[in-house]
Amino acid sequence: MTRSWLIRAAIVVAVWSALATFPEWSAAWESSRFAAGIIRQILIFAIFASSLNLLVGFAGLPSLGHAAFFGGGAYAAAIAAQRFGTDELVVSLGAAVVVAALLALVLGFLAVRAVGIFFLMLTLALAQMVFAIAFQATELTGGSNGFSGVHRPVVFGIDFNAANDLYLLVCAVALLVGLVLWRIATSSYGRALVGVRENERRMRALGYDTRTLKLSAFVLAGALAGVAGALSAYEFRFVSPNDVALGTSVAGFVMVLIGGAGTLVGPILGAAVVLSIERVLPSQLPAQMVLGIVFIAFVVFARQGLVGAVRRAVRA
Amino acid sequence: MIDIRELRRDFGGIRALAGVDLHVPAGERRAVIGPNGAGKTTLFNVVTGELRATAGSMRLGDAVLGPLTTWQRARLGLVRMYQRNELFDPLSAVDNVLLSIGSIAGAYRPLRSPRRAERAEAATVLERVGLADRRAVAARALSHGERRQLELALALARRPVALLLDEPTAGMSPAETERIATLIAGLDRSLTVLIVEHDMDVVFRLADRITVLHEGRVIAEGTPAEIRGDRQVHDVYLGKAIEA
Repeated sequence: MTRSWLIRAAIVVAVWSALATFPEWSAAWESSRFAAGIIRQILIFAIFASSLNLLVGFAGLPSLGHAAFFGGGAYAAAIAAQRFGTDELVVSLGAAVVVAALLALVLGFLAVRAVGIFFLMLTLALAQMVFAIAFQATELTGGSNGFSGVHRPVVFGIDFNAANDLYLLVCAVALLVGLVLWRIATSSYGRALVGVRENERRMRALGYDTRTLKLSAFVLAGALAGVAGALSAYEFRFVSPNDVALGTSVAGFVMVLIGGAGTLVGPILGAAVVLSIERVLPSQLPAQMVLGIVFIAFVVFARQGLVGAVRRAVRA
Repeated sequence: MIDIRELRRDFGGIRALAGVDLHVPAGERRAVIGPNGAGKTTLFNVVTGELRATAGSMRLGDAVLGPLTTWQRARLGLVRMYQRNELFDPLSAVDNVLLSIGSIAGAYRPLRSPRRAERAEAATVLERVGLADRRAVAARALSHGERRQLELALALARRPVALLLDEPTAGMSPAETERIATLIAGLDRSLTVLIVEHDMDVVFRLADRITVLHEGRVIAEGTPAEIRGDRQVHDVYLGKAIEA
């Protein structure tokens, strides 16, 4: 346990505690409920962006199909709860993780054979196929109408139906996912993913089966995106083909790049920036255009994202 | 240990390796020399599996290498040092070496940091190649000579059974060359070493035997003394190499 480790842990505990208790200490504020809703959504998309970051930032795999696992998880959670007639979190969240991971296994098996731009196009095409299925399997998914009336989960009999309770659940899951990613990033496995990103040829020459390594990252990232998808289904009580669509994949990618690929905090900040622009900005302003301008600014002036810009500022 | 028969590799109409035979017993240090374009690096690329052989057979001990991928061959202990550095540029020297050591235990330890023993081993390897005080420096910030040292450290950290060194002293200062040559000379005698090198002082100092390649064929093989006295070798290569 070094000092910098303790400082980081203390920051995480402080920020998380402040976030988790936000509805209480902000109760007097008239927009408290609205703000809590935004924070929930930021956290959900932070999980999604962080899972994509495992591919884009760590393993160097630029996937444009990550929504397939987000939406796949969302549908799985909604459908499992309905079919099994239970609101137990274990059932719906478990279904989301399993379905997203299996989907990632199949799509990843094909995608990791390609590199660079071909990987990007292949993930895009495969995710479009998932989108087509979601759109057309009306019986199962509700087709273009979406799947409405998703129940909020129950954990061992405790109901998370109230917005404040859902808030706590989202905070807890986000913390858990964050800790898992933190551990992965500092592990031999995380280091190996960075090795694949930096020099795959050398990794093979050292005896790493890089194709399986990339596939494992793809499945892990898919499973975590499935978690985000399930939370999104609880949050909006609604799943639609939009959740599987290219737009959602791109949104995740933009969050990762704005925040800073390959860092743990970056995707969280990226999710906060993107959702703030989309949901908080006055409605007279064209949110998508503002987002576009912000994104271009980052690509041109701060390739390393927010985290990279802050690091540079601290060093200078 | 290394047993290569009738190895061929064609690039379109060009025959880069035209039936190479090479038998290197365990523990031998064998130098492969020859003019540029003789097929030395191609030989390494085919033996490590980065290029497929057009024909011929290769064995490492009892293992038939032909059907194996590069990473499977590396897992057998066939480890190479590259002629052009293949490092993990943004990572520190010690993290580069840890990646190499970590490959022995495998990558699937998602929730585990490199163990203390691995860190200690990385420190030892960096010490051996002379990079102990550069351990925290990113690979891309090292000098050319230091990058060669790190390249060698990566190969050694993989605990090779057979070590393929592709021009280990290329572009190094005399002091750096001396350090690397001494290091290679001091490697465990159980290790089989195949070394491609243009510095003839280094070759004659390190090699137990020398194989001379020319236009994808072995034109001579023998002890350093025999090769020095070989008329044909002198004509195609050594004359020029020694004058230069």
